[in-house]
Amino acid sequence: MRRLLALVLMLQAFSVGLVHAKTRLLEVVVSEPFLEMHSGPGRGYPVIYVVGRDEVVTVLYSRTDWFKVRAPRGQEGWARRSELALTKLASGEPAPIPPYPDFAAHRFEVGAGYGVYNRQNLVSAYADYGLTNSIDAEFVVQQALGTLDNRYVTSIGLRHTFIPEWKWFSPTASLGAAFQHIETKEPPAPLQTNNELAYVSLGARGFITKRFMWRADWRHYIVFSNQNAYEDLEEWKFGLAVFF
Amino acid sequence: MEIRLGSVLLAATLLSGCGWFHRGERPSNQVVVDEPEGEPSIVEPQVKRRVVKVPKIKAKDFEVGAYFGALSIQDFGTNPLYGVRLAYHVSEDIFFEGYLARSKAGTTSLEDELPGITVVSDAGRRFTYYDVDLGYNVLPGEIFLGRGRAFNSQLYVTVGMGDVKFAQKDQFALNFGVGERLVLTDWLAVHLDVRDHIFETDLTGRTKNVDNIEATLGFTTFF
Repeated sequence: MRRLLALVLMLQAFSVGLVHAKTRLLEVVVSEPFLEMHSGPGRGYPVIYVVGRDEVVTVLYSRTDWFKVRAPRGQEGWARRSELALTKLASGEPAPIPPYPDFAAHRFEVGAGYGVYNRQNLVSAYADYGLTNSIDAEFVVQQALGTLDNRYVTSIGLRHTFIPEWKWFSPTASLGAAFQHIETKEPPAPLQTNNELAYVSLGARGFITKRFMWRADWRHYIVFSNQNAYEDLEEWKFGLAVFF
Repeated sequence: MEIRLGSVLLAATLLSGCGWFHRGERPSNQVVVDEPEGEPSIVEPQVKRRVVKVPKIKAKDFEVGAYFGALSIQDFGTNPLYGVRLAYHVSEDIFFEGYLARSKAGTTSLEDELPGITVVSDAGRRFTYYDVDLGYNVLPGEIFLGRGRAFNSQLYVTVGMGDVKFAQKDQFALNFGVGERLVLTDWLAVHLDVRDHIFETDLTGRTKNVDNIEATLGFTTFF
């Protein structure tokens, strides 16, 4: 019995230690007349608690547009980003609630989409880093699934956005290099299963909502092979992306 | 003794006088000329700026987990399925999700009736897929368990595409799904999903689109 008690006490001490070892949480002061706390992270969830002016709220974590907060008396709920952004730090400075990344000046982008590559269905995923507002470095991984073969294509390139300040539609053009691996499904097998490629592309992109955007792209590839002729390939695709 | 007392008094008077004298002295209005640059100053100012570290808010927009259930492979019976999933929540409505899963097909009715016939080799019965999906939380809400408990839940629909590898061939497959996410705690959610993987195949004779419907139970955690 005593041993059990000792164990329980030890565990208790350990858990207290754990709590203390946790990182410090952000505390903000409500400076508007009140701050509403919803029961869930969505516009339809009802308001379950209201924190008054000058009360301190602890911000636990965020999910998309919503922040899980704890009121002074322990009640927990979800506050909207736009409302939490109006609170202040104890020092009187505005609370450091990160604003939405600006569409025109965003840096990172990750997306996926559907396309057609060499008349085959294409699954495509990409990551993109903005070097400037109009020039991006893009990295694409894709799989083309056809009846005769199955191709893996990776590419790296530079893309120029012509009018980055046009939010809803802006044309783009890019240039890059790619690598293709062919897995044969039906014989005969191709003479060469690994190829290097170069591409030029024309496309467009636009903002949809919040951190969400679309991208469309047409690419023309030149396949370098150890034969005496160059092969040409066409690709188009449409994708959705999120930017940071 | 008297002399000593006298000297002490005298010293005290002198000292107090000094103090008085100093008190009367007004602060000088002399302009202090800055030291020429380059010469080290004698007294280094010990001013330390107070660095206030504001704690960062942790974003928990990712959801990762595993799921298992049953997959009905058209013409090949219903079989156990298990997989992993990773989601990123873009907004309260939209999320991206990726899945990786595997199952093993049974036998067709033709193979059952005529034991000598093999439609797919043993190695080819392995059914694996990956999917890239876009999800939309159609019906967010709360589920009540008794009087005192409420859990947030979202009924969502997903649409996506990917690769199904079956009969040792990769096929392009579309998928449509509907699911329910039940958020039990800050870090744990339960999923119930039904998803259909559609692809074109000629395994059983003529070329046709096959529906492969799965029903799964999954657990995920937010990070």
